[in-house]
Amino acid sequence: MELGLSKNYSDCNLVEWTLYEQVAVAAMDCQSLDVAKDCVNVLQKKFPESKRVGRLEAMLLEAKGSWGEAEKAYSSLLEDNPFDQVVHKRRVALVKAQGNLSGAIDLLNKYLETFMADHDAWRELAEIYISLQMYKQAAFCYEELILSQPTVPLYHLAYADVLYTLGGIENLLTAKKYYSITIDLTGGKNTRALFGICLCTSAITQLSKGRNKEDKDSPDLQSLASAALEKEYKRRASDKLSALTLAFKTLKVSS
Amino acid sequence: MAEDLVLDTAIRDWVLIPLTVVMILIGVLRYFVSKLMRSQQNPDAKVVREGQVVIRARNLRAGANFIPAKSFRARRAYFSNEENGLLHVPKGQGQNPQAQMFSDPNMAMDMMKKNLSMIIPQTLTFAWVNFFFSGFVAAKIPFPLTQRFRSMLQNGIDLSTVDVSYVSSRSWYFLNLFGLRGLFSLILGEENAMDDTQRMMQMSGFGMDPTKNLSAEKDGLDIIQHEWALPKFEQRAEAALKKLIS
Repeated sequence: MELGLSKNYSDCNLVEWTLYEQVAVAAMDCQSLDVAKDCVNVLQKKFPESKRVGRLEAMLLEAKGSWGEAEKAYSSLLEDNPFDQVVHKRRVALVKAQGNLSGAIDLLNKYLETFMADHDAWRELAEIYISLQMYKQAAFCYEELILSQPTVPLYHLAYADVLYTLGGIENLLTAKKYYSITIDLTGGKNTRALFGICLCTSAITQLSKGRNKEDKDSPDLQSLASAALEKEYKRRASDKLSALTLAFKTLKVSS
Repeated sequence: MAEDLVLDTAIRDWVLIPLTVVMILIGVLRYFVSKLMRSQQNPDAKVVREGQVVIRARNLRAGANFIPAKSFRARRAYFSNEENGLLHVPKGQGQNPQAQMFSDPNMAMDMMKKNLSMIIPQTLTFAWVNFFFSGFVAAKIPFPLTQRFRSMLQNGIDLSTVDVSYVSSRSWYFLNLFGLRGLFSLILGEENAMDDTQRMMQMSGFGMDPTKNLSAEKDGLDIIQHEWALPKFEQRAEAALKKLIS
């Protein structure tokens, strides 16, 4: 593998070294540590002083599972350059890999205090919060994501999910609106958003039953969503159609 | 009279071409010297943070209508409240860059280095050209030009009777100084070529005040009217679904 690399690309040096780096990272991703080690060694020989190679070495340690050494390597890298965003994120990943989710949250929060425009970090934080069932915090993170990229339907969808999970009539109404925007942005192709509409509507009707409040401003939307779902199921998975109608029945949803 | 002012070929061989070659060599040399002298400067934590704050506030301003009113108000308060909002700049804290420069010797040092690598070779070559080649008519442009170009093309020759299309050696030096950028970008790669004109512009743009950015962003945030865009998306979703079903 490596020999092939150096032969093919020996004429264009810059590409070759970048390739070594990429191959090293990819090898770590699929746990072929020997390949990764070879790549890192070659790079180390070529650029003995480089911070970037130092980062790769630390990542190799991390891939091996020697957390303590990796942590030490990352901290020394951060001492040299406290603004290396990749190293900061690696540290978060390291802590998270050890199963210390609250530690990861602390680190991420500290990181976001400085680099608050980094939406990938916000996303990671949101996911960690969700896995710890801290939905209010997760909702905040998703709001931040929506602000930074208002046209990505996935963030609207995730935000709606969180709001639905939080519950309460107000959150449910808001969640329904965010499912709607997801439908609008995806052209109705997102099954999860369609189900979300149905679930929200049924939960809202249940909650507002006693109060008789005319909040059902668009009963249309829900029937449209369930119709769209039915059509989609007929086309793609007609054997599961019965399950769908059963689900609708339990939700007391007309279609 | 100027019609047949014959230029000696020796002038071409000993003035025009050497001058150009020397200018190119100096440009390349200066590139490498400045590369050596360039110090890896760590950005200031405060500056990085302020930049990120501005980006986030800008996002908030742009996407305000996509989040619920309560969330928007909380964020606006976080950014622009008068006590400890992120965008709030306490009075008198906005240092001017001059003072900042003196307080931070590294910054002054960097400026000096940049300046030195720019000014020293320039004065040296200019002195060299002046000393050896002053008064030469070095080249002739193959088309006629108006009188206004005289100061540009015949710097150093005080004869008003010479045709404007002749170029004096000193002017040739200036033309090279400002015109070799394209060549450098070919030799040194696109982004490495920094010519003097660009550098001068950078110098003049140096006196930017980052805190101004913050307070401008704060003002922008303060005047926003929050109008939740989501309610009308229910209708739009209905329309999309109707289209899908039919």
